[in-house]
Amino acid sequence: MSFLLRRLSFYFTAFLIAISFNFMLPRMMPGDPIDALFAAAQGKMDPAQMDAVREMYGFVDGNVFEQYLSYMQSVFTLDLGPSVLMFPIDVTTVVGMSLPWTMFLALGSLIVALILGVTIGTYSSYRREGFFGQFVPPFLAFISNFPYIVTALLLFYFFGLQLELLPLAYTYDPAIDPGFTLEFIGSVAKHAVLPMGSMILVGIATWVFNMRNAMINVLGEDYVTMAEAKGLSSFRVMYRYAGRNAILPVATAIAMAIGFSFAGSIMTEVVFNYQGLGNILLKGIMARDYPLIQAILLILVSAVLTANFVADLLYVWLDPRISK
Amino acid sequence: MKEALLEINNLCVDYVSANGVARAVNNVSLTIAPGETLGIAGESGCGKSTLAFAITRLHKAPALISEGEIIYNGRDVLKMSDKELRDFRWNDVSIVFQSAMNSLNPVITIGEQLTDVIVAHKRISFKQAAVKAKELLGIVGIHGDRLKSFPHQLSGGMRQRVVIAIALALEPKLIIMDEPTTALDVVVEREILNELYDLKEKFGFSILFISHDLSLMGEIADRIGVMYAGNLIEIGDAKTVFSKPSHPYTKGLIASFPTIHGPKERLYGIPGDPVNLLRLPTGCNFQDRCADCMDICKKEDPLLAELNVDYHAACHKL
Amino acid sequence: MNNSITSDANAPVPGHKSEFKKKCHSAWIKTKAFFHGNPPAIIGVSLMTVILLGALFAPVLTTHNPEKRVARPHVAPNAEHVLGSTRNGRDVYSQVLHGARKSLTVALFAGIIAMTIAIAVGVTSGYLGGKIDEWMNFVTNVFLVFPQLPLLIVLAAFLGQVGSMVITVLLGVTSWPWGARVIRSQTMAIRNKEFIISAEVMGESKIRIILVEILPNLISIVFGGFLGTVIYAMGAEAGLGILGLGDATEVSWGSMLYWAQVSSSLYTGAWWEMLVPAIALALTGGALALINMSIDQVSNPKLKTGPHMKLWKKMNRETMKRRGLL
Repeated sequence: MSFLLRRLSFYFTAFLIAISFNFMLPRMMPGDPIDALFAAAQGKMDPAQMDAVREMYGFVDGNVFEQYLSYMQSVFTLDLGPSVLMFPIDVTTVVGMSLPWTMFLALGSLIVALILGVTIGTYSSYRREGFFGQFVPPFLAFISNFPYIVTALLLFYFFGLQLELLPLAYTYDPAIDPGFTLEFIGSVAKHAVLPMGSMILVGIATWVFNMRNAMINVLGEDYVTMAEAKGLSSFRVMYRYAGRNAILPVATAIAMAIGFSFAGSIMTEVVFNYQGLGNILLKGIMARDYPLIQAILLILVSAVLTANFVADLLYVWLDPRISK
Repeated sequence: MKEALLEINNLCVDYVSANGVARAVNNVSLTIAPGETLGIAGESGCGKSTLAFAITRLHKAPALISEGEIIYNGRDVLKMSDKELRDFRWNDVSIVFQSAMNSLNPVITIGEQLTDVIVAHKRISFKQAAVKAKELLGIVGIHGDRLKSFPHQLSGGMRQRVVIAIALALEPKLIIMDEPTTALDVVVEREILNELYDLKEKFGFSILFISHDLSLMGEIADRIGVMYAGNLIEIGDAKTVFSKPSHPYTKGLIASFPTIHGPKERLYGIPGDPVNLLRLPTGCNFQDRCADCMDICKKEDPLLAELNVDYHAACHKL
Repeated sequence: MNNSITSDANAPVPGHKSEFKKKCHSAWIKTKAFFHGNPPAIIGVSLMTVILLGALFAPVLTTHNPEKRVARPHVAPNAEHVLGSTRNGRDVYSQVLHGARKSLTVALFAGIIAMTIAIAVGVTSGYLGGKIDEWMNFVTNVFLVFPQLPLLIVLAAFLGQVGSMVITVLLGVTSWPWGARVIRSQTMAIRNKEFIISAEVMGESKIRIILVEILPNLISIVFGGFLGTVIYAMGAEAGLGILGLGDATEVSWGSMLYWAQVSSSLYTGAWWEMLVPAIALALTGGALALINMSIDQVSNPKLKTGPHMKLWKKMNRETMKRRGLL
């Protein structure tokens, strides 16, 4: 398991770098960082509260190192102070409410795009001389490379506004009480179709092409020829013998895709007014709610790093040679 | 001669490349009798592996079997439907590939790679197949516990034994061996070949043995065929081909290999390079490298002529 | 491919033909081979040509000043304003052509910056190996797992509404890691090839080996990475724009989307204000992707395309028919 330990220490280091960057950010900005940070909060918070927030961000008396330690302490105790925008609610609470929706959107669409893309990629490599292999990949390459925001806008306009098929905003119908009911789940699903659909469209081509190219390398291997010589069904040869190996290089691309997917989620949420982190982030930016912005950045980094670690676990499970 | 198990008639295999169509196997005819070991020798690229792959139609685009017949037990393999072909593969003809490292899938247990072929062809459960798989591993001298192992957990020799066990799984009548021991060291090679011969005694299958190693083939094959640039240029009983070859190319090939048992002799190579299949000369393909080249060699293709009973060679000199 | 060979042989080859002419000739043959039997390449390159020409000749092709009020708000497309007008009375057609200049410049320069860093990091790390590689690879991986776009958003937010120059630099310096990783592994693959080793034995300097022996072998992946980054940067510019983080006074596809969003043009029925820049972005992204794919197809022989595969298919069908399998 030394592989996983190595990865874990890597993610931890990456996390430390990220929060250090977060610490430096307001200090690198032009002008007085404290003023910039709290300009929008003037009048909303009383001086005592402002001092508390300052302390949390490490703007304490003392040298930079002492400030850094104070900041680290507040990060690791999740004590991120109140939000300016939604004062006096804690930033942690605000982020906690919307994070699940962003995770749902980003990871859900990633998984669906991955499964669809890998299946299509496998099939198109196997049939690469035929119509499917010649036509489908270029078509997907074309539509999949529209920017996130454009695909979202186009779907929003045609399916939401013009055809009025699907809801245009929110994560679920506000009239329904959240709970584990069929009605609620149905409403969530219905509201997720367009945002998730547009993210799947953007994400899918990566997997189709990664998988197709990996498959084409694997199809020349002796073990695939042998599987064919054994008289196994072409489905089994294609997915169990060739696909099983071709997926390994594809799985290494998941790491990068996770970051992209979260980024895409932020854009998409804004278009569909989906109540995730992206939406909150935009509101935070408009209101100059720096504590909130910082907390969102931190939480996104943590989410992406955690998701990456899960992808590593998946990789270990996929490749029996790695755990040695 | 006994009734043939496999009969190949005028087989031609083409490769369609961006620079033209190359004929990798040209008009090859041969037969394999039940229980017989036929060796096919030649340099790399002479078409011997292409010939072996063609027997169970394993070639992929851009290769193409353009002419000929492959008759197995009275049925033409080239005319089989996809379903018939799947049933034919491994049930009747199995293959041992060049390198066991590459022919076993690294991320699937050897147990699954053994059982799936049994389940695919016989109406039995995975459990029954696993029992059979254990038995098969025992036959090649590997403990049954190894079913759960992945290929990378076995040594090179063990892997090749697993591949042979898989080849035996359905007790086929013909096993094609494409340089089965090239990747192994000499000691392991010897061990495996000996075992192979015991297994052959026991199960009575025929072997089509593909190798560039004529001295090895001289020991184990009943008959030997020699290929050059896609043509079968000499075929006959192993002893004669090995000790009194007729074709200049076969002579050169034998002179270029050290013998294991005989006296130390000087080794000779064959001058020149193999011909480019896209630019074949008129007449004999071997003309540029042949010491005895005559005028007619540059005009007419030499045909395979019967020199003796069951002994053929294609050379204008004979 | 067959065609290119015959035309090569038939071409008049005078003895004193200059080196330059020969090079041009072989480039022409390569170009022809690239497009032959490759519809995605033809579509991608034609679309991109149209877009680039439109951007280049925007001042000639447009009649209105994109930054001035020249019409009443939200005029539907008509003869005077072929793509309608915005809420603020700007001509959408003029804006989309002028916006192309800004958006494409941002994307192209971001791509150049990113690939320059990627080549520097990837080749050094892959060729030198050892401790340097370990460290550079670590930095690359850290950048790779960070969510770039949120980072950008926050940076842009801290900086206030930023101009296209700043956005270009930000996009460039954050999107190199993927390219660096691919280039590194490719460099490692060619590092041990004979021609590199022989150059080393002959005592060539490391810089020379990198520039003369290694880089030319990376051209197709560098170009592929460059196109990928351009697509990404273009999308990110638009994204930052619509979030209101770009400079809304500049005319770019991103700022057009921003104003369309602010004026709720989709809800009020003025779809042209939003959809025109959106479709421009979509077509550019799609066209670049098709070009990228075609390059891959040509440089990877395993993908099995080209005229000889058509011949194979024909021959295969014939033999199958003869054997009664079809």
